[in-house]
Amino acid sequence: MTAAIDVQDLRVRYRSKKGNWVPAVNGLSFQVAPGEIVGFLGPNGAGKSSTLKALMGFVEPCAGECRLFGAPAGSLEAKKRIGYLPEVAMYYPFLTPIETLTLYGELQGFGARAARKEAATLLEVVGLQESAKKLNRTLSKGMLQRVGIAQSLLGSPDLLILDEVTSGLDPVGRKELREILKDRQRQGTTLFFSSHELSEVDMLCDRILILDKGSLIEERGVEALKDQLRRYVLKYHGPAMIMGIPGEGDESEDHVFELRCSTKEDLILALEKVQKSYGQIIDIESREGSLEEYFIDTLERAA
Amino acid sequence: MKARVYKALAKAVVLESIRRKDLWVVAILGFLILVSSGALGLFGIGGLEIFVKDLAVSVLGLFSTILAVLIATRMMPEEIKQRTLYPLLARPITRLDLIIGKTLGAIAVSWIAFLLLAALTGLALAGFHVTFEPIMAQYLLAKMMGLVVICGLGVAFSTLMTPSAASTMCFVIVFGSTMISRALVMAYESCSPLLQWVFKLIDWALPQVSLFDLGGRAVYMHWSPVPMWVMGALALYMAVYFAGATGLSWLKFRRQPL
Repeated sequence: MTAAIDVQDLRVRYRSKKGNWVPAVNGLSFQVAPGEIVGFLGPNGAGKSSTLKALMGFVEPCAGECRLFGAPAGSLEAKKRIGYLPEVAMYYPFLTPIETLTLYGELQGFGARAARKEAATLLEVVGLQESAKKLNRTLSKGMLQRVGIAQSLLGSPDLLILDEVTSGLDPVGRKELREILKDRQRQGTTLFFSSHELSEVDMLCDRILILDKGSLIEERGVEALKDQLRRYVLKYHGPAMIMGIPGEGDESEDHVFELRCSTKEDLILALEKVQKSYGQIIDIESREGSLEEYFIDTLERAA
Repeated sequence: MKARVYKALAKAVVLESIRRKDLWVVAILGFLILVSSGALGLFGIGGLEIFVKDLAVSVLGLFSTILAVLIATRMMPEEIKQRTLYPLLARPITRLDLIIGKTLGAIAVSWIAFLLLAALTGLALAGFHVTFEPIMAQYLLAKMMGLVVICGLGVAFSTLMTPSAASTMCFVIVFGSTMISRALVMAYESCSPLLQWVFKLIDWALPQVSLFDLGGRAVYMHWSPVPMWVMGALALYMAVYFAGATGLSWLKFRRQPL
């Protein structure tokens, strides 16, 4: 099956004001399968937006190539199947959301009437129907982001490329957005988005790519990563820390010990040992690992 | 399909321009024309018909040109500066489509402004029973063709330099092309053959916007309309320059990192 996104040895560089070439992306390679939701993470200046711009054909790579559903990035064939949300959502200040979306709809290939109908439907999807006829310049940042999300959904694209998708949205807006995106995924849409909001990534993604200084430093399935980060915490009362017990542990209170096991097998083994030592089990808990800590650790390791 | 894209882009430009109150300049100018014509009326304009028409045509030509330059030269830089370019170019359109659509929008706005001004001027002059010869219609048509060349140039310059530099360049060429050509002709004889070729190239490349100004003929009475082949030649000249300017914009913009 053709990959939704196929990036091979991508290199992007910019000319600085002094005239030097500054590398933004260094030999990046990855693939995204159709129907996947992939989060693109990295600190500021890691090259995320440059990669997304290369995928959209806004910047030309100095080496390597990007293909979307087999078509070269930036080609009309590729653009027909993509919805894109730019990092900073800016729309014509003197047009209304309905006019803005109708314009994009017409550029997408809809007739004027069909474009207006689609625009009205999408404004309802993103909860902006009441502000449909207000000028964009009077809308808040969050509302403009909703206009942006609506325009990216025009024409039911097969691939959504979203740059900082939750930027400017309040918690309710984020929840609604998650539902919209999940719904699109159920319909078979591929999602590729960059974000600083690790909680969004955690709730939405099948896979994450971590970028630093223009290079890919980590590529993981989110479920596998969660399994890796998950800790089983066993709290027991006993005379002392039992020798040879798996996992890391310490005494949290007087003769109460907390043991953190990384796998279920270790937990079972630890339970057996506690029982054999006549310890009293107080609590067993499964704790989710922090994606944020993992992200920071990964960046530090790479550095 | 392409026509739909150009129409959508141009419509957005016109809507923005109206709501941004760009055309208010036209309304204010129109008001001034009406007021000043009223003032002239106080003194009576018997025997001054040519003078009044000359003044009206000059004002009309000057302000529509200024407006066209200002609108066209800010079109593309504003798209880039405001970042409204990204969602546009994410659609299945090419960068050339965007340039053409935006330029057509600038042309439409400058035509609306020009025709509004012309209508208001006509209204003011009609109040004094000033008569219009059929050549007046040709004057309007030729001027509109001239505005196409100006808008094409404005957009092209704005992709090559900063908006203020583009406006200045555009004004120099639009108002000074005749003078520059005259200077080149005067210097031609005393130059080396190589320089003569350079002068010839500059002269050919310079758009002679004054060719589109039939104001002189329209002002003086009893001038018959210009032959249709002249209008056809002007249309061809306009098409060539519009294509050239658009091509220049595209060459600069087609691979520009955004």
